This record gives sequence, structure tokens and C-alpha cells, in this order.
Amino acid sequence: MISFASFPSRYEDTTYEKTRHHASVKEDFMDIDDAESFEAQGSKLTCPGESLTSSQAYMRGHGTYVENEEVIASVAGTIERVNKLVSVRAIRSRYNPEVGDLVVGRITEVQPRRWKVDAHSRQDAVLMLSSVNLPGGVQRRKLESDELQMRGFFEEGDLLVAEVQAFFSDGAMSLHTRSLKYGKLRNGQLVVVPPILVRRLKSHFLTLPCGVDLILGLNGYIWVSKHVKENEQEGEEGFDAEAVYSNVNDDIDDSTRAAISRVTHIIRILTSRFIPLSDTLLLEAYEWSVEHGSDVKDLLHQDFGDALVVSITSGQ
Amino acid sequence: MSTTLLSKAEKSFIQAGLLSNPPSRADGRSLHDFRTISLETSVAPLANGSARLSIGRNPYDGSGGTEVLAAAKLEVETIQHGSGGVEGGKIACSVTCSPAAYPHLSSAALEDLQYDMTTILQDTLTHPSLHPKNLGILSGKKSWLLNLDLVVLVDSGNVYDAIFMAARAALWDTKVPRTRSVEYKAKKSGTSGIVGGGGKAGDSGGDMDVDEEVVSGFDTRQIQKATDFELPDYWDEGEVLDGRQNWPICVTLNIVSPVHFLDATSQEEAATPLRVLLMISFDSSQSANIQGMRTLGNGELTVSQLTGLLKDGEKYAREIWQSLNTKLKEDNIGLIKEKNKF
Amino acid sequence: MTSSTIITNNSHARIVEFVSTLFAQHLAYTGMASRVEILNEGGFRSDGRRQFELRSINIDLSQQGHADGSASISHGLTHVLVSVFGPREAKNRSQTIHDRANLNVELSIAAFSTGDRRKRSRGDKRVMEVAGAIKSTFEPVIQTSLYPRSQIDIFVQVIQQDGGVLQACINATTLALISAGIPMVDFVCAISGGVHSTNPFLDLTLIEESDVPNLTIAVMPKTQKVSLVTMETRLHVDRYEEIFRLAIDAGLIIHEEMKAAVLARSKTLMTCIDLGTHGGEEME
Repeated sequence: MISFASFPSRYEDTTYEKTRHHASVKEDFMDIDDAESFEAQGSKLTCPGESLTSSQAYMRGHGTYVENEEVIASVAGTIERVNKLVSVRAIRSRYNPEVGDLVVGRITEVQPRRWKVDAHSRQDAVLMLSSVNLPGGVQRRKLESDELQMRGFFEEGDLLVAEVQAFFSDGAMSLHTRSLKYGKLRNGQLVVVPPILVRRLKSHFLTLPCGVDLILGLNGYIWVSKHVKENEQEGEEGFDAEAVYSNVNDDIDDSTRAAISRVTHIIRILTSRFIPLSDTLLLEAYEWSVEHGSDVKDLLHQDFGDALVVSITSGQ
Repeated sequence: MSTTLLSKAEKSFIQAGLLSNPPSRADGRSLHDFRTISLETSVAPLANGSARLSIGRNPYDGSGGTEVLAAAKLEVETIQHGSGGVEGGKIACSVTCSPAAYPHLSSAALEDLQYDMTTILQDTLTHPSLHPKNLGILSGKKSWLLNLDLVVLVDSGNVYDAIFMAARAALWDTKVPRTRSVEYKAKKSGTSGIVGGGGKAGDSGGDMDVDEEVVSGFDTRQIQKATDFELPDYWDEGEVLDGRQNWPICVTLNIVSPVHFLDATSQEEAATPLRVLLMISFDSSQSANIQGMRTLGNGELTVSQLTGLLKDGEKYAREIWQSLNTKLKEDNIGLIKEKNKF
Repeated sequence: MTSSTIITNNSHARIVEFVSTLFAQHLAYTGMASRVEILNEGGFRSDGRRQFELRSINIDLSQQGHADGSASISHGLTHVLVSVFGPREAKNRSQTIHDRANLNVELSIAAFSTGDRRKRSRGDKRVMEVAGAIKSTFEPVIQTSLYPRSQIDIFVQVIQQDGGVLQACINATTLALISAGIPMVDFVCAISGGVHSTNPFLDLTLIEESDVPNLTIAVMPKTQKVSLVTMETRLHVDRYEEIFRLAIDAGLIIHEEMKAAVLARSKTLMTCIDLGTHGGEEME
């Protein structure tokens, strides 16, 4: 039940095991077209302070700035060029929201007529009382009593899925849950991964055949839960406030629970090795893990994770 | 001290998982499984003993583990009124939490938390039954003060177990320098000369005068003659702390009635109403002593439940104790091999 | 401009570290500092280095706990760990600035990091001073105006010190900020330098620091602008210029090391991303 290991040797990297001399021979201008030395399978890498190109021929995008008619990188990452626009995408960073993105967030604060939501971004997002579905239908007017019972809808700690609606002038995002797909999350658990590992997909609501629903928030928050049938979700009257804002989980049988656990684990295995998630990859990985290991516990073993990754990345 | 915010649904999901049959946890462990523990000793070359420990660190990206650094440092203290020294030496523990371990806590809350951790560690480790015998240098004159400092770098749950294990590993690794007593013999002419005394034996001849500084006329122990000490001329690692196998370990029982589980993650801790810390040591005959106990959280416990928990706790503690000892001995051999390479 | 060679060399650094360790421990027990020759006749320093030789640099950019970015760097025996959180919602609303991000630097020094144990509290003067120096160094470098009302937390943990603590803190902070993807105008690379009689030298150990006039500078390699200079000792103005120029050169060498580490880490991560993406496509 308990096992000890040693830390991996921290300095096994041999990059620094050489003598460096100060010399003026090093190139001081890394052109956008001759950066082969830092190429990783087609992506050109750069880091802050590196000149990318001339600002007369190109426009600066995210992750760059202009000084002395040069476009210079301000983050470490991959250089992306779309026509005349040069930008650098940081490898790791907090979530940079865009309108229309699907995010999973957690309520941090209840304020007058609004909630503050942590969505792993530069500031907490705002969810206005007017941007949520209220009991009694979409068309009715907002009442003062709604304001008084805001905690009845969402309270601190609650998780929700929402869409980025707009931005405030200071860059904070505003969310809305005005769709039956959105709202409070139940029946599952959250996995947090680096946002870059969640790619834009056709749909971020996935249903795996093992009875598990996945919501891949573009902010790197992933909700893994028991599958809920669509008609159940919507209810007969179109909108059942009590069910939507309920804090009580449904009954979850053991096999579903094990499946949720397994999917969570697969996500962790993939993301800890920095492999981006996609629907096909997750499905492949799930099938592989069921085929090769009967028990969820097997996934805890490092070798098993290695084998899983090798198998799915080689496409077999 | 729940620093992780969870929704009611998440809490009940975790609790229902623990109570289901067979129990299931978010990462697939069974109730009494630990995450992998990584440990290395002698990590701080400027300390007399040190250890770095992590519970559940992901081997790929280094994320997700509770991580603690512990180091023991010896200082010489004079035994005198007002100078803090105590006959036979003493131990002082302190725990510091890096703000990076609790990024959402305010500095005042962080201060409270580390005070709490320090108190638990200090109270447990300074119990007289555990005191090492070789922290004295010169009876009535000098003694060692052992400062045990811990830094919590990351908290991903089960921090108390980690603290105690790291502390135990650092103390295990601690070497006390060997000292030699030296006497300043007052000659009739008034000038002082140095006479070397042979170790702590103290019986280096009967012709030594008792130094004037010694006030007590009742104390006739010969060691009193020595008034100062010196380190040996050659480089020496020193000797290990006396009774180092006795240092206690902590096992945290997380209780979601009627079951309990071990090594909770932060999320699981947030969903657990009651946690019981048991500090248990094993003496040479391997019988268990409870050195301390503490409950955290607002749940309650009946006495009969507690008896059962103590029994189980002892069992877990013994397992942790044994595997920790094995690991420390292995490391010791590894270190000796490495040194011989020089 | 000096034509001398600045070297970083790892091979004999291990032995150097070992010797320093023995010395520091000896110092701690006996309280006696035997007189150490700063620069001997053969041109070697107390730890066996040459005048312009830097200590071995080790950089680890792997993730630490929940931080958005983290880095650990060691210059010889000095070891510093930095975790960066943010840009994120400010903990304290009164700290927000309406047009840019607020930098919050917290420094803690492990009690066991020095030869003599010393516990410094959060409010310690020295701690505040170093934290302040880090903050003012990075304020003009980080593009804070991109993140109005946000907060960037920089938590610095000194694990071991043997001279050059400020330089290690600044270098580690640069690396941690980069690994957190926070936009910066450039790297900031810091190094200490000192002068013994008329001989300048670089990357001082604790013994050297306490014995000779010394300064720490932080340089931004692209423009060679200097964003920090600290000196607490007296130094002749002619010597100052010499060591100042030399330190800037050394800063550029450190930049090479840091850049290599950042690119190596980026490359590893990008390879994984590409691997996952291509593997996924093949299956479809």
C-alpha cells in the first residue's frame, strides 16, 4: 500500500555540460526564415528578446512587440505567421479567452447581480444575473427576489459550464449560460490541464461509449461525469429550474464510477506527457486501456501509462 | 484549513465514491493506498542532515505532488542562565510554508497555518522519551541545539504525513560532530595553558585543577573539569543521532463515517469532515507508542470508533515505518558508495 | 571593453562545491574565519576558480506544484526556486492597478540555507530589500499593461546561499516568468562582480562577497540595458567602470545558458504536442 522511490536525477540534462566562451561569433539576429536550429517538427521556436523580422514588412501579433522597426518576441513559444501577421504562441500560459469559447469555471464570489467565476484566466470572469436562465421561463422579467436568492442558483465553489459572451474594457470576460447545454455541473469530477492541451474541436461536449460525458473547457478545465440522456437533460417543460440548479448527484453505479475514474486517469497520463487532447485520441486511449488492463488501478503504474502513450501516438 | 474550494456536488461525489462498494477514489487507488513517495536524503550540503520528500509527484511533469524539504542544523549553546542552553541539548522545530504551496491564502492565514504545523511537530518531537542522548557536549557548559527546519513547497494533500516523514528522514540523516574536551588549566603564575582531555572519558588524570568558573561544589563529576571543546583536526562526518529509529511518523486517517482512508488529495481533504492525525513511534522491540494525536475538521467521533481507528492506525503506521526504514537504509548505502567514488 | 575570456565550467565545479561545503561547516561550528586568500599568486581564487570563471549553472524548468510557471537555478552552491502565479485575479482588491498588472514579490529564505542558521521572518529588512529589488527590476521588463487589474505573484524561495543570492533570484525569476508565458521585453540576466586590489572578478562566493567590494547588475541582453545595479560597498570609480563592463559581458554569457535551457524545454514540450497531434490524425 505504500512505496518509496527516488527523485529522478535533476541534472541529467547534458546541455550545460560544456564550456562556453564569450565570443562575438554568435549570431545576433535570428531571422524568421533561418531558425532551423530550434525547429521541432515544423514549429519554429523563439524566446523573449529575439528579433523575428522587420516591422516594415510584417505586422505584430500576440506575443510580440515592435522596437526600432523590428518585430521582437515577448514570450517563449512557437512562431506563427498568417500572411503578414507574425505572432508567437506561448507554450504554457493562462487561458486567453475568445468570444464564443466554451469554458468550465468555478464560482469564487457572489456579488450584487453578478457572480465572479474563476476560469483560469488573467482575471475572474463575470457571470451576470441577466445572463443565466431563471426559473419560470426565459421570457419573464428579472425580479428583485431573484437577486435575493442568487446563492440558490450558484454559490461559492459551484462549477458551471458557460460560453464567453463578451469582454469588459479591462479585458475581463463575461459569460453566459443561456442555453440548456450550459449551467451547473454535477455527477462527476474536474481535471485541470494546461489550456494549450485542449484543442478547438467541432464539439466540446463528448460522450464516450462507456457512459461518460466529457466537457472539454478551452480554459483547461475538464469535467468528467456520468452520461445524461439529452431528453432527460431538457425535461418536458423545456426548463426545469430545480433540476438545473440542483446540488444533489444522481445515483451513479459502480461501473460508471470506474469509467469516470479511468477517463480521468487517461487525461492525466496524456497531459502530464504534454499530449494535446482530442476526441479521437481519448476514445482510442480508452479502448486501449480497457483492452490491456482490467483494473483502473493498473493505470497508476508508470509503465502502463508509457505503453498507452506509445500505442496511441504511433497510431496502432 | 481547507484551501480547496469544492462544490457540494463534487463533495458528495467524492464521499459517495468512498462509501460505495468496492470503494472508488478519483485516481483509482483503494482506501488504504498511498501515492508514490519520492525521497532523497542529504540534499542540503550546509546542513547536518536533510531530506526532500514528495508524495504523489508526477514523474513526467513534476506536478501534483505534496513536497517538503527538511534540514537539521546543529548549533553550540552555552548552558547558563539566560543563554538558552539546556543540559543534554535540545531540539527546536519550525515549519515554513512557501506561499507557492498555498497560492490562495493570505499571508496572515499562511502564518497561522505554519504556526499550527510547527506546534504539532515541536510538541511531538521534543517529547523526553525521544530525546537523543548525544546532544550534550560538556556537562554543565555546552550542548548542541538541533534546529529542525521544514519548508512546505507544495501542498497537494496529506501534508502532515509528509512533514513527519521528511523530518524523520532528515533526523535519520543527521550527523553530530565528534568533539574533544579541552581544559584550560590555571597555573599559579596566572597564565593559562591548554591541556587536552581524551574524549568524553574525562578520567585523564587526577592532577587537574578544577577551573574557577565552576561554581557548584557539589557536582563532583570529573567531566566538569573540561571547560571547552574542539573539533578533531581531521575531517569527520560525525556520528548519527542516538535512537534515530525511534523518531515517530504520522499517519492521517481521513474519516468519512463509517470508512476511513489514507493519503487524501487536496480535493479529498476538502470533502472529508474529520481527519485524525496519529503520531506513532516504534521502539527497539517494535512495540508502538502513540506520541501524539490530533483531530482536524468539524466532524465528530465516538470513543468506540476511536479504539478501532487506533488499532488500524498502528497497522498503517507500522507499514509506513518499515518501508521508510528500508528506503533510508538503501539510501544510506547509495550515499556511501557515492562518497567512495571520490 | 575587455578581451578576457569568461568561462563556465562544470567539470571541476563539483570539487569546488565540495570544498566550499567543508569550509562553510567549519565556519559554522567554530565561528572562526581563517584568513582566506581571495586571489593567490597563481591567479586562482579560494575555490579554485580563475578570475573570470563563473560557477556551474544548473537550470530546471520542470513544473513545481500548482504554479503557472516555475524555475530552479543554482549558481554553484547557491540554489533558488521561483514559482510564478498569474496573471490572475488579485487576492486583495485594493492592490489592483487600473491600467496594468500588479507585481507581488514574496521572498523567503530557508533557515538552513546559510552556514549559520538564521530564521528570517517575512517582514525582515533584508528580505524586503531583496524582494523590492526584484520587483523594481522586473516592473519595466514585464509587459504589465497587457493585464490591467490583474496580479502576478512571484514567490521566491532561497534554498541555499553561497554568495550571489540576488543574481540567482533574478535569473530564476526571469526563467519562471518565461515558463509561465508572461510577455517580457527581454531576458534579465544578473551577475555579481567584485574587485580585489586591482583585479576584477566575477560570480562571487560568500567568502569573497564579505571580503571585497562587490556589485550585482542585471542586464537585458538585446539592448544591453542595465535594469539593476546594487552596490553596498565602496569602490573606486575607475575600478567601477571596469567591473561594470565586465559584468555586462558575463551577463550575456549567462543569457546564453538561460536561453539554451528555455529553448530546450520548449522543444521537448513542442515535440510532445506534435507527436500527439500527428498520432491522432493518423488514426482518423
